[in-house]
Amino acid sequence: MKEMKLFLGPQHPGMHGNASVHIYVDGDIIKKSFLLPGMLHRGFEKGMERHSWVNNISLIPRVCVVEPDTNEMAFAMAVEMLAKLEVPERAHWIRMIILELARLSIHLMAYGGLGSPTGLYTMMYHAHTDRNTILNIFEKITGHRVYHQYIVPGGVRKDLPVGIEKDIHSFLDDLESRYEEYRDLGINNPTIQARINDTIPLPAEVVWELGVTGIGMRSAVNKPYDLRKVKPYARYDQVEFDVPVAPYSDAYARVDCKLQEVVQSIGIIRQCLAKMPEGDVRVPISRGQAMRWTVPKGHVYACVESSRGEFGYFMVSDGGTNPYRVGVRGASYPQGLLGIEKYLPGTRLDDAALWVDTMGVCSPEIDR
Amino acid sequence: MTNSMSNTEFVTNLVESKFKVLSTEVLDKYQVSFEVKKEDVHSLLSLLKTSGWIQLSYLSAVDWPNDNEFELVYIVFNWDKAVHIQIRCRLDRETASMNSILPIFPGCKYYEREAHEFFGIKFPGNPDHEKQLILEEWDDIPPLRKDFDPRAYSDRKFSKMEYKNDFVNKNGEVSKQDARTKRYDDIDKLRTGGKK
Amino acid sequence: MKKQYSIFTSWRHFKHLFKKPLTIPFTEIFTKKNADYLNKNSILKSKKNVECSSPRVGADNLRGFHTNDWEVCIGCGTCEDICPTEAINMVERLDIKDEEGKLQQRPTIDYGRCCFCALCVDICTSDSLKMSKEYVYSHEDPNAFEIMPEALWQGQAVEEGWTKTEASNLLDLERIDMEHEDPEERKSSFIEIVRGYSKEYAKQEAARCVECGVCTGSCPVQMHIPAYIKAIWEDDIEGGLRQIYETNPLPGVCGRVCTHNCETACSIAVKGEAIAIRWLKRYIIDSAPTDMYEKILSEPVSEVIDARVAVVGAGPAGLGAAYYLKVMGYKVDVYEEKPMSGGVMRYGIPSYRLPDSAIDKDIDFIEKIGVKMILNTRVGRDISMEKLEKDYDAVFLGTGFFKPRTLGIPGGDHKDVIGAMTFLPQVRDFERRVLKLEDIDVAKSVVVIGGGDVAFDVARSATRLQMLKYGKSDVKLTSLENEDQLPSSDDELIEGSEEGIELFCGNGPQEVMIKNNKVTGLRLWKCLCIFDEAGSFNPEYDKECEQIIEGQQVYIAIGQSPDYDYIPKSLQGKLQFVRGKIAADEFGQVKDLPWLFVGGDILRGPDLISGVADGHRAAQGIDEYLYTNAKKKEASDTLKEMRLAAKAQTPGLTFRQK
Repeated sequence: MKEMKLFLGPQHPGMHGNASVHIYVDGDIIKKSFLLPGMLHRGFEKGMERHSWVNNISLIPRVCVVEPDTNEMAFAMAVEMLAKLEVPERAHWIRMIILELARLSIHLMAYGGLGSPTGLYTMMYHAHTDRNTILNIFEKITGHRVYHQYIVPGGVRKDLPVGIEKDIHSFLDDLESRYEEYRDLGINNPTIQARINDTIPLPAEVVWELGVTGIGMRSAVNKPYDLRKVKPYARYDQVEFDVPVAPYSDAYARVDCKLQEVVQSIGIIRQCLAKMPEGDVRVPISRGQAMRWTVPKGHVYACVESSRGEFGYFMVSDGGTNPYRVGVRGASYPQGLLGIEKYLPGTRLDDAALWVDTMGVCSPEIDR
Repeated sequence: MTNSMSNTEFVTNLVESKFKVLSTEVLDKYQVSFEVKKEDVHSLLSLLKTSGWIQLSYLSAVDWPNDNEFELVYIVFNWDKAVHIQIRCRLDRETASMNSILPIFPGCKYYEREAHEFFGIKFPGNPDHEKQLILEEWDDIPPLRKDFDPRAYSDRKFSKMEYKNDFVNKNGEVSKQDARTKRYDDIDKLRTGGKK
Repeated sequence: MKKQYSIFTSWRHFKHLFKKPLTIPFTEIFTKKNADYLNKNSILKSKKNVECSSPRVGADNLRGFHTNDWEVCIGCGTCEDICPTEAINMVERLDIKDEEGKLQQRPTIDYGRCCFCALCVDICTSDSLKMSKEYVYSHEDPNAFEIMPEALWQGQAVEEGWTKTEASNLLDLERIDMEHEDPEERKSSFIEIVRGYSKEYAKQEAARCVECGVCTGSCPVQMHIPAYIKAIWEDDIEGGLRQIYETNPLPGVCGRVCTHNCETACSIAVKGEAIAIRWLKRYIIDSAPTDMYEKILSEPVSEVIDARVAVVGAGPAGLGAAYYLKVMGYKVDVYEEKPMSGGVMRYGIPSYRLPDSAIDKDIDFIEKIGVKMILNTRVGRDISMEKLEKDYDAVFLGTGFFKPRTLGIPGGDHKDVIGAMTFLPQVRDFERRVLKLEDIDVAKSVVVIGGGDVAFDVARSATRLQMLKYGKSDVKLTSLENEDQLPSSDDELIEGSEEGIELFCGNGPQEVMIKNNKVTGLRLWKCLCIFDEAGSFNPEYDKECEQIIEGQQVYIAIGQSPDYDYIPKSLQGKLQFVRGKIAADEFGQVKDLPWLFVGGDILRGPDLISGVADGHRAAQGIDEYLYTNAKKKEASDTLKEMRLAAKAQTPGLTFRQK
């Protein structure tokens, strides 16, 4: 059969964000494939150099559209490392609540997203409805639904609104009560299982070659390599949670790990709400008004465990009012670029979207 | 002494015993940075990889036009001894070139390509490093260099939005805002003796 | 191992078929205004009209469209500066009332750029800019998305969304502490109380400034305050010094004793403590080495204009006029009655506030550029006014108010009732070791009448002399005004109280009690009100509420009056006097006597910095009067530039002076 070139994306239900996968197929077997990023490139790294430390908080959440909070957290942690800031205790706990809510929301979205390449749209509607409830909670806490701009260097911008605990608890209870329902609809559904079992497996040795982190790696190497456990930030060392792992990483295992993480996140948020102390939520970066805040010289790399793996900010300061250089390590950079190029060939055309979804390829963080 | 403290010490001893390190900085108990000579980078990365730092987390560059140098940074991570290691080295800015680390960390392929695109650093040994990746039909100097001015670029390339609303109300008087701006510009010029 | 599930497991989801959907109907999301707009312009494809039934209300914290209360907004433009997307533009609105501490401009927001980050709200100096819960707005014209926020959103009152809290605040409202000498130690000597900022602290304090420039308008000489504060923040002392000398030739003095109207106007002061503008200025002067001064003027000033100007009185106004005339290229001679130049700076203000070294630094520079000081020469005694008129092309008078005003109460003419301007020069001379402690007659207990800065100067100087002489102090201060309305600055009140001055505020003196030809005390009546209904000075007392405070001396510091004896009677006839001041135009030029200019206390007052401003304006007036007729006026390009700069920087009148 003749070799053909096809495009997955930028407009495709299985493609997350505006990137395109160029696929050369022979029949429905992929012969060659590569990602063409750039459609979303907004020059963020340059832009960050041109904005002050405080102004950057309007820019960073936009690096990854679906999971803005990990960006904010990694940026804030990098600045705090440079400036040697002590973040107020309460802010740590609020940050963890936000980060775990974000993890819930993106896992739900990815789980729902699995509906599009597999053709089970009901899952998507359910997941998005629950995500909407999370966004409502975010709106109450941060003032915005998607780009929260809430976790800032030195803490969080505002304290939690009164009574938000009730909203969070009722959402968590509701989600927990329907958790089995979610599983039954998706990965316990024999139709879906048949589709995702053994699909695009990722052997452990390939993980290190690509540099894949997060669920993709943990489900392959069977070890709890989660930054929250390995090098705990915020107060993750003071909450109890398990890191779901699997010995064999296929699409099923990765989705299964995601769903198990949902349970863990629910547990973490409940512990945070119970353990959270009262107190201040923010300290300024330095004395003076925000536009004249300066950060001491240095090179640091700060990273957090996002839903897709290690999300890091490499930051250089020359002691001025702006960052001198910010480099963003997108969590899905390895699986999105190298993974698609090296690892998709040999699989079937309709599995490409499953790779993108289960590995959590997020084009905005590749483009930046 | 905690276990993780000894991790950074372990790294520092390991690296400093075998290489001439220009500067070492222990940033916290999970991160160490080493500044080394350009020639030492490959052997240092190989050593670290065999010692457990099997993950390349990040690779990029920083532009220091005043020193006429680029600074390359490699960040590697060991999941069992949780320490991020920054390896930094300086390259000459005019003839910026660095042998690819592809044989050591295959994952560097796209990072190097991106660094080439945004800084203009060559990576011999990486077959695709000169292919365009993100910037389609780019027609200016590599944009993350400090001497690239995005505002000038966009002024040149795109038309400016004209605001049609007229909210100004001068009440028939001479503009005071303009006078203030002029005064401020004038006085700003007086500071010739100082820094910018 | 994966468990095998029945194909029917997922059917349980059918139960959701009968649940109420969570979606919000399209027709319910619009406000009335939006709905009307859409219906009227038939933008919607569907035939159905949209209705404003129950638009979803945003969360309490929502960052929706902005509202800005114009009454509260001070037009500082900080929102414009911080906006990361450059969506905010300050638009000039001269229809707003021009007030001190406000600029006539208000923000507009381009919602095509705005990212609703609320940084503008968090940094708003007056808390006028807020965000509402409104988040729906539609229009077919892209220009309609540039909006000037007002207290109402689209003409309707809306609920508040995101507002600034203590945590989200991005301003630094607390001043960096200034080290002061300990009250117990300082009251026994005349060492300077305020120690001045170190470099680190000065930079921190400078970092608080938002560069709005609201302060500039309230400064009589209109100093480039934001500019030199920025220079401090960037550690550029030399640049800051240049910017300071552009508008103020007495910065070292002003950095210590200025009345700092700028700090009252400061936009940070709306919600917090004003920037310590005065002390920052002092920091520049204190940390500038003498050789840096030589670089300020790029070329030595030579006389390029053949006109000569005489300045009478080497006080703030006289020195201000002399400096700017010299910079413009005139030959200037300054006549001073006293052995040292500086006027009230040398002989009025005590050295714990203003040491001689600070005055010297400023005046030395003025002398260095070529202003000639003729000391120990009183016009009218050593040289006549007529001679000045003959020898010079223009004469500037800045002789100030040096004569003590007297109290018209019984016993007020006793020798132990002493005027402030008699006492204070003695104090300064004592500090300079011209007088010895024995030469100054300070009793063991004294009473000071007056509530201004001068009264505190007297009281605090007397405290120090008592401490030196007797080892303990007993000073009482009485004023008509209540403690919260004292005309003195807050610093004086706080520091004076720290040094043990007893306050008897809100009382009017009625009689100096004398027994055996010795002053024993002062009889006070409670003061009910100071001004009558017409607003003129006419205090009313409550006789029932009487008290007598003991004291062996009474010092009077209720203001000074001018001494015009040096002006010949023939000339005085041509002058118009208004409440002791000489009438003149804005530039100090006297009507009908075009060669005569006045400034300082005898024109306008009331403080040192206003005197400098008068001097600068008079220099401009003199230049306009003389320059056109001058025969020689070629100059190098640098000098021409300096001339133009000096003239361009001539300050206008402040709100208080208008």
